[in-house]
Amino acid sequence: MTDNAPPDLHGPGTETPGPGRPPTFTSWLRERSDAELAALLSVRPDLGRPLPDGIGALAARATSRNTVLRALEGQDAFTLQVLEAVVALGDDRLSEPVGATAGELADALAPAASADGGEARRGAVADALQGLLRSALVWSDRDRLRPVQVLRDLLPAPARLGPPARVLLAALPHGRLKRLAADLAPDSPAPAPVEALARLLSDPAGLGALLEQVGEHAHRLLDGMAWGPPHGTVADARRDVGVADAGSPVEELLARALLLPSGDDTLTLPREVGLHLRAGALFRETATAPPGFAGTARDAGGVDGFAAGQAFTVLRAVEELLESWSGEPAAVLRNGGLGVRDLRRAAAAMETDEATAALYVEVAHAAGLLGADDRVEGEWLPTREYDLWRESPPERRWLRLAQAWLDTDRVPSLSGSRDSGGRVRNVLGPGLVRPAAPQARRDVLAELATADPGFSPVPESLSARLSWRRPRRRSPVYTELVDNAVAEAALLGFTGRGALAGHVRPLLEGDPEAAAALLAGHLPRPLDHVLVQGDLTAVAPGPLVAELARELALIADVESTGGATVYRFTEDSVRRGLDAGRGIADILTLLERHSRTPLPQALRYLVSDVGRRHGRLRAGAASSYLRCDEPALLDEVMGDRRTEALGLVRLAPTVVAAAVGRASLVDGLRRLGHHPVAEGGDGVMRLSRPEARRAEPVEVPPEPPTVVPTAERVREIVRAVRAGDEAATATRHPVPLPEDGPPGSRAAAVLAALARAAEAGRRMWIGYTDTDGRQAGRIIGPSAADGGFVTAHDETRGAVQRFAVHRITALAELEEDDRTATP
Amino acid sequence: MSCLIVQSDKTLLLEVDHELAGECRRAVAPFAELERAPEHVHTYRITPLALWNARAAGHDAEQVVDVLLRFSKFPVPHSLLVDIAETMDRYGRLRLEGDPAHGLVLRSSDRAVLEEVVRSKRLRGMLGERLGGDSVAVHPSERGNLKQALLKIGWPAEDVAGYVDGEAHRIDLVQDGWELRDYQRAAAEGFHAGGSGVVVLPCGAGKTVVGAAAMAMTGATTLILVTNTVSVHQWKTELLRRTTLTEEEIGEYSGTRKEIRPVTIATYQVMAAKRKGVYTHLELFDARDWGLVVYDEVHLLPAPIFRMTADLQARRRLGLTATLVREDGREGDVFSLIGPKRYDAPWKDMENQGWIAPADCVEVRVDLSESERLAYATSEPEDRYRFCASSEAKTAVVRELVERHSEGQVLVIGSYIDQLDELGEALGAPVIKGETRTRERERLFDAFREGELRVLVVSKVANFSIDLPEAGVAIQVSGSFGSRQEEAQRLGRVLRPKADGRAARFYAVIARDTLDQDYAAHRQRFLAEQGYAYRIADAADVLSGDEV
Repeated sequence: MTDNAPPDLHGPGTETPGPGRPPTFTSWLRERSDAELAALLSVRPDLGRPLPDGIGALAARATSRNTVLRALEGQDAFTLQVLEAVVALGDDRLSEPVGATAGELADALAPAASADGGEARRGAVADALQGLLRSALVWSDRDRLRPVQVLRDLLPAPARLGPPARVLLAALPHGRLKRLAADLAPDSPAPAPVEALARLLSDPAGLGALLEQVGEHAHRLLDGMAWGPPHGTVADARRDVGVADAGSPVEELLARALLLPSGDDTLTLPREVGLHLRAGALFRETATAPPGFAGTARDAGGVDGFAAGQAFTVLRAVEELLESWSGEPAAVLRNGGLGVRDLRRAAAAMETDEATAALYVEVAHAAGLLGADDRVEGEWLPTREYDLWRESPPERRWLRLAQAWLDTDRVPSLSGSRDSGGRVRNVLGPGLVRPAAPQARRDVLAELATADPGFSPVPESLSARLSWRRPRRRSPVYTELVDNAVAEAALLGFTGRGALAGHVRPLLEGDPEAAAALLAGHLPRPLDHVLVQGDLTAVAPGPLVAELARELALIADVESTGGATVYRFTEDSVRRGLDAGRGIADILTLLERHSRTPLPQALRYLVSDVGRRHGRLRAGAASSYLRCDEPALLDEVMGDRRTEALGLVRLAPTVVAAAVGRASLVDGLRRLGHHPVAEGGDGVMRLSRPEARRAEPVEVPPEPPTVVPTAERVREIVRAVRAGDEAATATRHPVPLPEDGPPGSRAAAVLAALARAAEAGRRMWIGYTDTDGRQAGRIIGPSAADGGFVTAHDETRGAVQRFAVHRITALAELEEDDRTATP
Repeated sequence: MSCLIVQSDKTLLLEVDHELAGECRRAVAPFAELERAPEHVHTYRITPLALWNARAAGHDAEQVVDVLLRFSKFPVPHSLLVDIAETMDRYGRLRLEGDPAHGLVLRSSDRAVLEEVVRSKRLRGMLGERLGGDSVAVHPSERGNLKQALLKIGWPAEDVAGYVDGEAHRIDLVQDGWELRDYQRAAAEGFHAGGSGVVVLPCGAGKTVVGAAAMAMTGATTLILVTNTVSVHQWKTELLRRTTLTEEEIGEYSGTRKEIRPVTIATYQVMAAKRKGVYTHLELFDARDWGLVVYDEVHLLPAPIFRMTADLQARRRLGLTATLVREDGREGDVFSLIGPKRYDAPWKDMENQGWIAPADCVEVRVDLSESERLAYATSEPEDRYRFCASSEAKTAVVRELVERHSEGQVLVIGSYIDQLDELGEALGAPVIKGETRTRERERLFDAFREGELRVLVVSKVANFSIDLPEAGVAIQVSGSFGSRQEEAQRLGRVLRPKADGRAARFYAVIARDTLDQDYAAHRQRFLAEQGYAYRIADAADVLSGDEV
């Protein structure tokens, strides 16, 4: 039910047709099969959103002005003519029977006498009617076809015909009607003069008789209006003239209701009269098919290859861009767009011009590969999706971009232009949205798809065909969208040298899988080999598998990209590889494995030259050092866990570097019972005793010979080192100790655990605070636990000791190796 | 799937082992310069100049695009094709034409371009009166400058204004015991058809002969500009041998002699000499009504000669060179002032045809002694190269190498006189250096040529335009900082066809881990890019008698 039209008995309605009730659009719709309804919803998807809650609602929506307008936009010129014919002939205000049969319509659109074979044309009419029925712009009442009612308003002059006589007559004053009826149909059985006159005009014989009565001038007037427009201007159109007193040709026609007033000075040719004058044909010209394509036929394979090349270029460019932005992101403008300078930078990264760069950036964004992070000073960054995208095969990557472009309502080509306020529209910024853009793109691609594979139409030819295909869309905005779509399609690899690429056809038919498969056939496959040459370059004759590409980029510089990649080996690049942990052998093996050609000798020399010099000198940071002529003493220092805080690193048997400064090192070692002496930068000892005054310099007494430690002492040290190390590193399973239980419960738990260990002969790790308050981890082999003390073999000291239970701060079981018990 | 890969930086990679490689190479050569020719993949570069050279040779953008599409292994980026078409389209929009009424006019098929040109600041003062919508008068003296300037603003003009015939002088080739080779004939004819331009042939391919053939075709008095005096003598000898010209018809215009004859050979040095800020020998260009000017080694053409050549645009000009690449990047000036490339034959192709001996390059690395290393490390930066390059350690290796090639003629080449003297002494060979008198120099060269001398030590004076037919081995001990130019010349020295078809040897003796080795890396790259086999050997192995 339309919003602005009153319910009409013959129009669509939501009432259920009872027995004897005339059929309505709703009842027709209800009788459609599920398949037919599905077809309707697929050609007019806007009917399904939001979900209609019944046939009634669906019918109401299908006949509402906006959805019908949208449906009209999708019709081609011929279908629209057929629809106009249905509206012209099937108008329910014409005389009974209401509606037009398919035969009548075919006669009106394809007169049997027409030169181009009526049959083909009749077929075309039938096809068009099927389409109109499918999209529910036309419905059938038994075999009679009727337009949905709102079309009467949307197509007010179908086929440039005037309104039905009944409409025009109804507007006449009663007196005038009575006079006309008395003049023309005095014997009509019809109850009212309007009806009598309408029947007269729709009766060919009666109408013929009326026409014969008027003179030649009047005939010429009628002929001038027959093919429309059906209106004429005359002074005092509403004058009351009778057959007898008609003076001029216009009055002759007015008196016979062959022209009827539709305004104070407008005369209109009633539809019935117009149809009669046209002798059965509704249109002077009908084009059942679009105008032919003009252009160049190219080799389809070449076109596909070309388009695929462009597709590949897009992929590389987008990857190049997002990689560069992941390191140095572009700033988000205050209006949300991308600045001109950043665009220029993007164009440079993608090796292209700014217009193309704008397209790629927009498409990457539409595909969800690029996003703005949500901080105040935002940045454009690749998204997580990008990482997944990058890992997928090239044809999938293209599909994602292609789909995004097809569906986005943003028009990248508009960026850089100025809006009505004179502001430049930024890439990714506002002002680029054109809701009709996706439809225009599909129109263009679908039209190109109607050409033979490889055929590249000239622009004029494409636009002529689009005018036939979508006559109701024609507008400057649509033309601009079409031009942009053509240009963008070429840059994105939808077309090649002006012709639609083979891989796009299945995509338009909704089969992305087939599209991917076709495109994959044209895209270079990732290779796992390179050609290494004597000038120290490696050429990858195609895209490389990701891992090899990564490794090569590490050990060589990329010199040029494109279909192939050229890598150059230099000292610096090889060093970079070595710095990243690759060995000479790794590099050479990698190259040998992946090179199709023998490795040139010069490259081997380069790699080994760099390798020979790499890492010969090693640099690090230290604050002080410790040196000692006895490695054993340094062993001891290094072995002492208490020196951990000093950050000691053994550089050589007799040299240790420390992270702490000299003063801290000396102090730290003194606390451990050593006697270090500070040394100056020149290696001379610095003794920091108080400067006492002396008469003469005194010779420094020679150092006493160092005592060589006994073998036993050495063993102890080793054991201590091991035990300390074990205590520090052994895998421990802490024994839970109650922290805030009743007094004594903690000690009891410790004792119990140690008693169990003693019984089982297991070693335990304890955290122990000694009498000096120092905390340390120890490993003990408990032998007895009683009276608040544990007797145990302390592995760190190598002796049996008694430990006060209250000093045990933590307790853990050890993950035992084969040394299950202490001796 | 074919053998060509188009890169986004407008380089073309050609897989040479592909079955279509030969065909592809021929198709690509007219519009792309061979940049590198290592063993597997050759690199060509499409530059505006190369495209314009192609246009000048009659190729159009459609052909170029077709070649790329036909041979390309992967789809060619759309933007590149568009760019090629646009660039090629720029050549020939402007034409310099002779006009009966106005002398010389610049005519355009595109009014917008002419408008842009007329308004250009760079061209102010070069253009005269506007003659209608599509042409403008040009003063004849600005012909060269205008072409230079137009090239710089990207609208190279096609010069079809023609040439003066000059004073007729009959010159014929005398082909007794030798014959003009096919490519030499093609080169001369290519030049003659174009009127002026550059012929690119590798060293040893007989550029002098091409010059003689071009002179015979022109049949007019000729001015020949060469790099140095030795070259003057060689040109003279060659012309006497190959043509009907007699001793009396050929003049020498150099530092020592100033003869002006129907065929006059002058050095660049003399022409570029100035006294009190004035070029003193400019009158040579007007001394006769020259019908042809030949520029030998055009890639070395000094800047003043370019300026003089700008005034010679009405005369036929032939440039001869082994390479269009100039160290100073003035390729554009060669294009606009001498003319477009008229003939080009890839070096490697000539070698394959047997006109040039294949060369085999070996780098021998010597170790500096401990004391030398220390001295090297502490030497002043400006002396470092000299120090490592003239290391004593090289002498023994050179001696060993010379002994190994006891059969052939050996040239030892270096930059430092002390080192060369030392080597000369060690090898018992004469040394040719800057101070050697021309007469002595020629005597030694003759002796070397005759085989009386087996080993010759030369400084860089020998780099240009000498002809040493039987030098099968060259040993380079020091070079001037790895210039590409110099390498080509040096290699040219040994690339002479030899009777038995043996491979020529090119040794470079360098000091390990020094600047010498860094420079050698440049040389290695250049030679490898030229397609030569390059190996590295250790001096110790060489001295211990290993085969290299």
